[in-house]
Amino acid sequence: MKKRMMRIAALAIAATMTLSLAACGGKDDGGGSAASNENVTENNSEGGSEEAPADNNNSSDGDKVITYWNIGTEGADKQALEYAVEEFNKNTKSGYTVENVPTQNDNYKEKLVIAMSSGECPDMYTSWSGGPMNEYIDSGFAQPLDDLYEEFGLKDKYMEAALAQATYNDKLYAVPTYNVSLAGIFYNKEMFEKYKLEVPTTVSELEAVCDALKKEGITPFALANAPKWTGSMYFQCLAARKGGLEPFQKAVAGEGTFEDECFQYAGEKIQEWVEKGYFPEGVNSLSEDDGQAKQLMYQETAGMLLCGSWYTGTFSSDSPEFYEKIGWFSFPKIDGSDADASIQIGTIGDQFVSFNCTGDKLKAAFECASYYSSDGAKELMVEVGKIPPTKDAGDLITDGVTKQILDAATNASSVQLWYDQYLPPAVAQVHLDTCQEMFGLTMKPDEAGKKFEEAMEEYLADK
Amino acid sequence: MKKGESLLAQKRQKDTNRVAAIFLAPVVILLVIYIFYPILETFRVSGFDWNGISSNPKFIGLDNWAKLFQDEKFWTAFLNNIKVMILSILIQIPLGIAMATFVEFAGKKSTIFKILWFIPMLMSSVAIGFLFTYALATNGGIISSISQLLGGGNVDLLGNPKTALYAVIGVIAWQFTPFYMVYCVAGYTNVSEEVYEASVIDGANKRQYFWHIALPLLKPTIKSAAILSMVGSLKYFDLVYVMTGGGPGSSTELMATYMYKLSFAQFNMGYGSAVAGGMFILISLISLVTMRILNGKKEDY
Repeated sequence: MKKRMMRIAALAIAATMTLSLAACGGKDDGGGSAASNENVTENNSEGGSEEAPADNNNSSDGDKVITYWNIGTEGADKQALEYAVEEFNKNTKSGYTVENVPTQNDNYKEKLVIAMSSGECPDMYTSWSGGPMNEYIDSGFAQPLDDLYEEFGLKDKYMEAALAQATYNDKLYAVPTYNVSLAGIFYNKEMFEKYKLEVPTTVSELEAVCDALKKEGITPFALANAPKWTGSMYFQCLAARKGGLEPFQKAVAGEGTFEDECFQYAGEKIQEWVEKGYFPEGVNSLSEDDGQAKQLMYQETAGMLLCGSWYTGTFSSDSPEFYEKIGWFSFPKIDGSDADASIQIGTIGDQFVSFNCTGDKLKAAFECASYYSSDGAKELMVEVGKIPPTKDAGDLITDGVTKQILDAATNASSVQLWYDQYLPPAVAQVHLDTCQEMFGLTMKPDEAGKKFEEAMEEYLADK
Repeated sequence: MKKGESLLAQKRQKDTNRVAAIFLAPVVILLVIYIFYPILETFRVSGFDWNGISSNPKFIGLDNWAKLFQDEKFWTAFLNNIKVMILSILIQIPLGIAMATFVEFAGKKSTIFKILWFIPMLMSSVAIGFLFTYALATNGGIISSISQLLGGGNVDLLGNPKTALYAVIGVIAWQFTPFYMVYCVAGYTNVSEEVYEASVIDGANKRQYFWHIALPLLKPTIKSAAILSMVGSLKYFDLVYVMTGGGPGSSTELMATYMYKLSFAQFNMGYGSAVAGGMFILISLISLVTMRILNGKKEDY
């Protein structure tokens, strides 16, 4: 009898566990598609147009609150992103108020997708532009803004590169907010002086600097590659300096290939540098979010750090004294390559606001976003270490490093958005995975290139 | 007279049924809403090419399932799940039994061990994940520090595709062994005192008692523990997500992390649902087969 009971209990427990698993998997999926059905009916009644706002619950009738999701949970991001909301709520005559809903950066994208799939998409939300933003637009969660840009006279205010990154299919779908971020190399000026090192202008000079640092027992590059996108920046810079942007753009369009020479070169160079010990030990398990790369810089056990220029804000808010020691240079050109060395990798106007509402509400929301290019906002951004993506940003900036970064951005012949943002998300994932494996020396560059290309071809075939 | 009685019985039966229905209704409704419906939905969504947010999913029949069968990544993830499953059962359950036996034999004196050993079970998985990411760090982690004390170099466990999965399995064992300890302690309470006394009177020592009496009597407990561990390992998600995110490369990718990435990071809800459905089928199959095997043999004591 006891045995029988046990057996039944075991069966029951096992069954519940299996089912609850499926519920985990299914709940979100299920909820999502249920909502999508609502969307279908609603959109049908509106003529089923692709661009009809998929805005179920927050319908504009009588509802005067605009919900705004962004990633400004703390520090400079919070200050800069909140500013427009506060100003709008203080000054607006539209009768609307904006409710600011900041979310932790790490889970923001997933949270947004779940909100959209369950018909709870906020009226305003920020994104990093690129592949995911295009998905939101294709799914009807963003409105074209060209007319509003004209009405508010914003077009002339922003840098062209910023507007380019807010554009999809020749229409403006987003408003740039508060930062210009380029991939560049931060270095410890004191250390360079101490060991009599010059800022490198070519990759071979860069390698000489690395060797010299290595000899002193210092890790040349601080890098935490667990999240994968950090290491990918090396790949992007090397590929852009080797072959310019054309091979990348062609490969994305399906006319070229990711097995191109410049990607091959980038992979080989990375592996050569790994073998020479230019990166910290266990680089693939170091966590960027926990600050394991910047810690190496602070401990002065690493001499350089290649990352997005938002690091100026990180350094200066963590330790103003340390920030004094920091210098910056754009990724050096490759000896013998005729690729345009002014090309930059990065984002101009980081965090782009898109809108999921129509009519008066859209206008009010846009009015709110327009405060990001107001004089007060720009001053605040500069003060907290950001670079406003506006044409007159240069007049406001006094900090040396920031000025250098801005100059690099304004002098760039073109700025390529980060691969992992720009590419369709499924392809980006393959790139990040293979790139990390190259850093781990578990995959050869030609194999990585092949997988990258296969993923791109598969995506294009489905399109 | 008789007729009246049966009428009464019928009425009572009816009442019982009604009360049963009322009491069961909340559970049944919850089960339907949160378990049965989502399962069916998952299978339905798996028939679509859908990014998860657009309002017009495209019906593509069984294409996602055809893709699933040929998807190297999914089968790698499945193999990883199988590795986690086998090693979890082999490590956690024997350790759990050993700890439970110690606690049982040592009696009241061992309460402190019982409490200490149970602590990992009380911590949240995410906290454990962060804790061990630091403990296993290449620079300054516990393992690296010990290795350096002994004259070796730094040890990179989580960043090396060959060792990452085993490192995670070790942490999973750290977290769940206490659960099986408690499970076996509960099993021991089912073994009646008389059996122990009888064996002592018959001249058995503790070792003989354990191997020949306690262990066979614990068998049903161990069986259900094994099934629990098995199902738990096959649907495992949180520690891997926190510690490695499936990396380096895809060396620690599990079915659940793969599903999550597809559905929410890569805008591929349709295929993600197919992966969820595949998981559901595989786990159900494995559980059923194992239960058949474990419960098929008739034994009695």
